[in-house]
Amino acid sequence: MFKLRDISIRNKLILMQVFTSVVVFGIVFGVFIITDINFYKQRKVDSMISLAQVIGTNSISSIQFHDPESVKVMLAELHTVAPEIIHAGITNKKGQVFASYSKNKADSFKIPVLNGRAFSFKGEQQLFVSNPIVSNNEIIGKVFLEVQLTEIQEIKQYKFDLAFILLLVALVFSFIIALMVQSYISNRLLNLVYAMKKVGKTGEYSKPLEEGGKDEIATLIQAFNKLMEEIKESQKKKDEFIGIASHELKTPLTSIKGYVEMLNVLEQEQPKKQFVEKTLSNITKLERLVKDLLDVSKIQSGQLQLDIKEFNIDELLDETISAAQMVSGTHQIERKDHPDNKMIYGDRQRIEQVLMNLLSNAIKYSPGENKVIVDSEKTDKELIIKIRDYGIGVPKEERSIIFERFYRTKGISVHISGFGLGLYISRDIINRHYGKIWVESADKGSIFYFSLPLKHSLTTQQKEA
Amino acid sequence: MHKILVVDDDLDILSLVQVILSMNNFTVEAISRWEDIDTKMAEFKPNLVLLDVMLSGADGRDICKNLQTQEKTKHIPVVLFSANPEMGKYIKDCMARDFVPKPFEMAQLLKTVNTYVN
Repeated sequence: MFKLRDISIRNKLILMQVFTSVVVFGIVFGVFIITDINFYKQRKVDSMISLAQVIGTNSISSIQFHDPESVKVMLAELHTVAPEIIHAGITNKKGQVFASYSKNKADSFKIPVLNGRAFSFKGEQQLFVSNPIVSNNEIIGKVFLEVQLTEIQEIKQYKFDLAFILLLVALVFSFIIALMVQSYISNRLLNLVYAMKKVGKTGEYSKPLEEGGKDEIATLIQAFNKLMEEIKESQKKKDEFIGIASHELKTPLTSIKGYVEMLNVLEQEQPKKQFVEKTLSNITKLERLVKDLLDVSKIQSGQLQLDIKEFNIDELLDETISAAQMVSGTHQIERKDHPDNKMIYGDRQRIEQVLMNLLSNAIKYSPGENKVIVDSEKTDKELIIKIRDYGIGVPKEERSIIFERFYRTKGISVHISGFGLGLYISRDIINRHYGKIWVESADKGSIFYFSLPLKHSLTTQQKEA
Repeated sequence: MHKILVVDDDLDILSLVQVILSMNNFTVEAISRWEDIDTKMAEFKPNLVLLDVMLSGADGRDICKNLQTQEKTKHIPVVLFSANPEMGKYIKDCMARDFVPKPFEMAQLLKTVNTYVN
C-alpha cells in the first residue's frame, strides 16, 4: 500500500511544493475566471438594458397610436444590430403582447417571468431583460429581450485554456525550484546520514560535522556532534578502563605463568610434574580468554586497529600450522596448496590470530578425527583461505549466528570448552581487512573460508575510509 | 657473560625475569624504579636493557627514546615488554629493537634476548 512516510524527504518536499503551488495558482486562476465572467455578464446586462431603453423610447408613439407594425419593423432591425437577441417583445399597459420579434421564425415570443426584476439569467447562456416604457410618468408598457450568450462559452473556454497553460508553466517552475531547495535540504540530511553510517562502521567519533546554517538541520547536526563528543568521552573512559584492566589482569598472569613454567623445567618428579603441566595448560587457556575479552572490548569501542604491512602469507600459514600442530597431539594438519610466497597487505599478527582460531576450532570440533586440511586459492582480486575439518559440522540454521558474540554451538554431546569469542573476533578482523569470512558444510565436518583482498583494493579502500 | 638490565615496577615479574635470565647464564641487574636507570646504566654497563612500558610515573617508550638518543647509551639495544600488545606498534617510533608481550613464554623471552646480545 502507498504510504506517505515511505516517500523520501526529498520527494516529499518536491511533492509539497508542487502541490501547494498548484492549489494556490488554481485558486487564483479560478477567482480570476469567475470575476472576469461576472464582469462580462454585468456588461452584457447593462448594454441590453440600454438597448431595451432605446427600444422603449422609440416605441412610445407607436404604442400611443396603436401602431404595432412600425414597432415590428424596428424590432426586425435587431437581426443585424444585436444578433445575440433571439426574442424581443413589447407589451402594453395590460401586459398583452403589443409587438414581438423572433430571430428564429419557427418559435415565437413568450413573455418571460421576471417577478419584477430588471434582468434574470436562465442557466449560463440565457439572459432575460425587461425595461418599462415610461411616458409622462406613466408606465405604458414593457420591453422584453431574450439574449443568447453564446460568447460566454467561448470566453470561458479561452480563459480555462489560458489558466491551464499558466498552471503548467507554474508547475514546471515550482518543480525546478523545489528540486533546487530539496537538494540543498536533503543533501545535508544525507550527509548527516552518511556521517552516522561511517561512525557506526568505523567507530571514529573524532570528526565533527559542519553545521552549515542555523536551521533545524543545523540543530540536528549540532545534536549529532554533541552526541559524538559524549560518545568520544565515554569511549575514552572505556579505553582507559581497558588499558588498566589489560595491565592489571595480565601482570599477575605473567608472574604466574613464568613461575609455573620455571617449575615445569625444574620439577621432574611424578605426579608433581603432571600437576604443574595441568596448571600450565590452564594458565594458557586463561591467558587466551583474557586476550579474547580484551579484544572484544576493543572491537566494541572501535579501538581494534590494524597495523597494515606487506607480508608473506605462505610463510605465516606454515608458521601457524606448525604452532597449532605442536599443541595438538591428535590431529594432523595438512597443507593442500603449494606455497609460492604470496605477498599480501594486512595485519600479520591479527591474521595469525584468525588462522589460529580457525585451526584450533577445527581440532576442537572434530573429536575422534585426525585430520585438518588447509588450502588456499588466489584470484585476481582476493586470496581465499580454506580450513576443512571432518568433525561435527555446522547446521544450516547456525551458519550465520556462529559469528556472533558468545555464541556456542548447541546440541553437541561432547563438552567443548570456550567462550564463543573466537569467531566473533575473527570476523571483525577479516571485516576490517575488507575481506569476508563464512562457513560451508561438507559431507562430513565443515569448511571455514576467509578472503583477503589483494594489495590494491585494501590500500585504496583504506584511503577512502 | 652478557649483562642485562631489567626495569619493571612489578617486583614479582622483576624477580621472575631475573631468575629466568640468571638460570640461562646472563648477569642480571633488576631495578623497579625507573628513576635509577641512568645511574645503573653508567655503573652496570649492560649489553641489553629489558624495559617495561607501563611504569608507574613514566612511559617506557619515552625512557627508551631517551636512552637511544644519548651518546653514552645509544649503542645498547633496548627491548620493550608490556601487558598491552598494542605497544608493539611503537617500537620503531621509540627506537626499541623489539617487543615482548606479557604474559610471555620463557622460550620466547630467551630467544628475543639472545637475538640482540649476540
